Amino acid sequence: MSMSMYILSSGEISALVTELQASYDVYGPQVEPQTKQVFFDQLATPAALDLEAPIPSMPVKEILFPQMERILKYKYDAENQSVAMSKQYFERPKALFGLRPCDLSGILVLDRFFLGQEFVDDVYLTHRRQCLLISNTCLHPFPQCFCVCTHSGPDADEGFDLDLTKLQDGYLLRVGSEKGQAIADAHQWQVATPRHAKEFKAVVDRSIDLFPEMATDNKAWVAKVMNRITTGFVKQETWEYIGDQCFECGACSFVCPTCSCFNIEDTQTACGECERLRMRDSCSFEGYARMAGDHNPRQPVEDRRNKRFFCKLSYPQSKKYLRPGCVGCGRCQWVCPGDIGLPNVVQYIRREITGGQN
Amino acid sequence: MNLVNYKPCVCNLCGTGCGQFLKTDGHKVYGVSPLIAHPVSKGKLCIRGWHSNELLSTNERITTPLIRENGELREASYDEAIALVAARMQAFDGAAGEIGVLASARSSNEDSFTLARLTRDVFKTTLRGIGAEAGHRKSMAALEQAFGYPGAHGSLTAIDHADYILVVGTDITRQNPVIGGNIHAAQRRGARVVTLSSSRTQIAKLSTKHFQEKPGTLGLLVNALGKALMAIRTVNHDRRANIDQLPGYADYAAALRSISSVALERASGIRYEEIEEEAHHLEQARSIVILFSSGISGLDRPTIDAITNLALLSDRMDHPHSAVIPVAGISNLQGSFDMGMSGELGNSVFKALATPDSRIRALFVIDHDDGIIRDKERIAALDFVVYACAYKSAFMELADVVFPLPAYNETDGTYTASDKRVQITHKNVDSRHHVLPGWSLFERIANASGQHWGYHNAAQVFKDIAAHTRGYGDLSHELLSKGFGQHWNPQGFAGCGRRKFNAINIEYWESPTTPEFPFALMIGKAQHYWHQNNLMRKTIVPRREYDQTLWLYPHGYIEISPDDAVRLKVRDKWLVNVRSSIGTHMKIAVKISPDVQDGTAYIPYFIKNMISDFLLPYENAYAAGEESVIPIQIQE
Repeated sequence: MSMSMYILSSGEISALVTELQASYDVYGPQVEPQTKQVFFDQLATPAALDLEAPIPSMPVKEILFPQMERILKYKYDAENQSVAMSKQYFERPKALFGLRPCDLSGILVLDRFFLGQEFVDDVYLTHRRQCLLISNTCLHPFPQCFCVCTHSGPDADEGFDLDLTKLQDGYLLRVGSEKGQAIADAHQWQVATPRHAKEFKAVVDRSIDLFPEMATDNKAWVAKVMNRITTGFVKQETWEYIGDQCFECGACSFVCPTCSCFNIEDTQTACGECERLRMRDSCSFEGYARMAGDHNPRQPVEDRRNKRFFCKLSYPQSKKYLRPGCVGCGRCQWVCPGDIGLPNVVQYIRREITGGQN
Repeated sequence: MNLVNYKPCVCNLCGTGCGQFLKTDGHKVYGVSPLIAHPVSKGKLCIRGWHSNELLSTNERITTPLIRENGELREASYDEAIALVAARMQAFDGAAGEIGVLASARSSNEDSFTLARLTRDVFKTTLRGIGAEAGHRKSMAALEQAFGYPGAHGSLTAIDHADYILVVGTDITRQNPVIGGNIHAAQRRGARVVTLSSSRTQIAKLSTKHFQEKPGTLGLLVNALGKALMAIRTVNHDRRANIDQLPGYADYAAALRSISSVALERASGIRYEEIEEEAHHLEQARSIVILFSSGISGLDRPTIDAITNLALLSDRMDHPHSAVIPVAGISNLQGSFDMGMSGELGNSVFKALATPDSRIRALFVIDHDDGIIRDKERIAALDFVVYACAYKSAFMELADVVFPLPAYNETDGTYTASDKRVQITHKNVDSRHHVLPGWSLFERIANASGQHWGYHNAAQVFKDIAAHTRGYGDLSHELLSKGFGQHWNPQGFAGCGRRKFNAINIEYWESPTTPEFPFALMIGKAQHYWHQNNLMRKTIVPRREYDQTLWLYPHGYIEISPDDAVRLKVRDKWLVNVRSSIGTHMKIAVKISPDVQDGTAYIPYFIKNMISDFLLPYENAYAAGEESVIPIQIQE
């Protein structure tokens, strides 16, 4: 379909949020007042939405694939030898308003993992179905960003229903799906002109220019490192150097918009019922890869570390996701006590390739 | 506008005091996020912090008061349980040593302060202590002597700016990972990080320099650094009048001069030339941070004295980026010490329990990790035991009355981190079972005993803390609610600013090993979890990680070097008989590790048999903490 574009005033954006709140749980970026930390969470009021806030501290995947959720409850009746079961996850229409393009790309990767393969994950599907995705172009990079290296920003080019970009006259709204078009059709928004389309392109170009040299310079290197990782040519010493700095906290996986590993555990509640919990897991943990019979193919920490980078930056994985597993949000660099976020790992492998030059 | 679902608080799982957000709807906790603006943790959390939501939503909670009747615990109302406790406790003579009180190093300051009041004014006993404080009191005594107040000198944030960081002993990336991460970051920005540790820990690998000394010689090594530093100044005719004139200097200097480089090398395995080279770096540093672990796995007093002396000798302790920090494994160890719950020297609850003819008849206990219940038979035989904890634990089996407590996010409370930073956590979840906060429970027990304190909320308790606790005078809940806490003010101590060298003795540690018992066994080094056993057992992913080790080594493990394994003709996971020189023994699997020196062996702290059967007979092993060495033989 050809993409329709409109120009909305701030007032119209607010009105849209209010209107969506009638039929959706509306989530958006907001700033915690005391700590100034940004979270992408349910909006109490349209006024809480801050479209200019930096990328949220936690990825938006929290809404579709929470850190921990109860998915099932069951009770065994020993006398009648029967089990009463009830599922604990429920479908609610959600509007994700103001997604940064990296988080949108993250959702697309999770979609392909949870829904696009042999098995469809019903819990994720239930959360994901009836989601309205509204993305928001980054007018400038935030300090840790490198999405220009991973083809996931600063503007979104697929997967959104509606996309916003702040221009001089207001917000440029691009329509990306039939669902989005239906919303647009119900409004009398001003149609955007070619001048706006030109300004949009200029805004994106300027944003790319504003990325630090380190990030833009790395663009080709990410591809080169992918090649190295795929072919297995990264030296063991490099993985050990990286592994020695891993504190095995799991933070990188928890903040990664594309990490999809989880663990399942049944726990007993006080009243004899059982709850089935699903919680995020991380390949950096030793117990994660343990198999029956105590075999652990990835016991040394460096083997667990390189597994993660294999998942983010290798061709076989990218084939599954139809894009690199890394979306360039830089959050792993933020939270890693060992300072081995993905950009640094690319640097170390790059250093190995160049023999210490650069 | 406050967020709907994310509430800031302070992680309660070690003495670092990291900032975290809990994702909660006010009824349950669903997730955790690090707090980026926090000055110490700066957006980092460790495996424990990242999984606090699992602990905070466990079903293994104590939800109501319980009273033991005909051998079984039954549910009871607060009124009934409190009346029973008040009545029974009145029958004991606290002043005569019949009542012992064990506080928790995880309790808030408000809870510990009111517990101290209950202990003093209602139970009238001086027999009190904090679960795992043994080592911390030694740290406090040494620091008070050196700097004039019992607390850390300087702030943990000094790590981010200091030129030189000395890590003495502790396996800090495991025990306090976020501090370890800050040290690692400092090393990467160019600070010189030096680790003294008998085994090759992760922080040793990440350090600029690692001195791998023989067990038991940490203090000697620190003193040797002092000697070399002094020698450099002598050569340079660099007199430091401000240091020379401090009390104790002459004796300290004389002791340092007496160190023989030959004897040093024989005892520690480290050449004096290496120490001399290191002292040059130390001398050039403008700011110096020294970290050591404090608490049950902490160092012995002579080693801590050596550390505080070296700090004073460095002449850099007035620099804003210098610090000496006793790093606690448990969240509020410092605070519970400040609130007066630490026992008197020589009058400890454990000593009373271990002495057969002591007068102890009743025990009042908060928390207590179940892996290390000492003197279990004696506790079981006491007339009356009261236990309060948020989570179910093995200690309940010993109690006549059990009280629930709120989890750390279910009530307002302040916590004092290792560097004296006092931080507040506001209640962000309604306790599901209308559980009374600790301070309120203690007040009601006091009420039932005829005393009225008049506290209505935690802020009011804190007002009393500020009025009666040295260093806390400037603080209030209102102040602490802005920003990320505040260090308590050492000016509250009359001695603050007065510096003094501790007396030291140079001893060349002779290994207690013999041809019959040739291995020096060290305890304490472990995976992530040893000091939070009762809590970590209630999580899911950290528990799996903990079990991961035990699955591989179901009987626990003893770490030895690859060469020793060859000599003993054993392979990884093989069971061996370990026999100590006093006759205790156990069967345990071998774990072969290149990080361990020949002739040494390590057993993690958390292995239960190790504590109860093997270690407990070693009273002095507890006293010496991290530096304790037990001679053993290992046989296939």
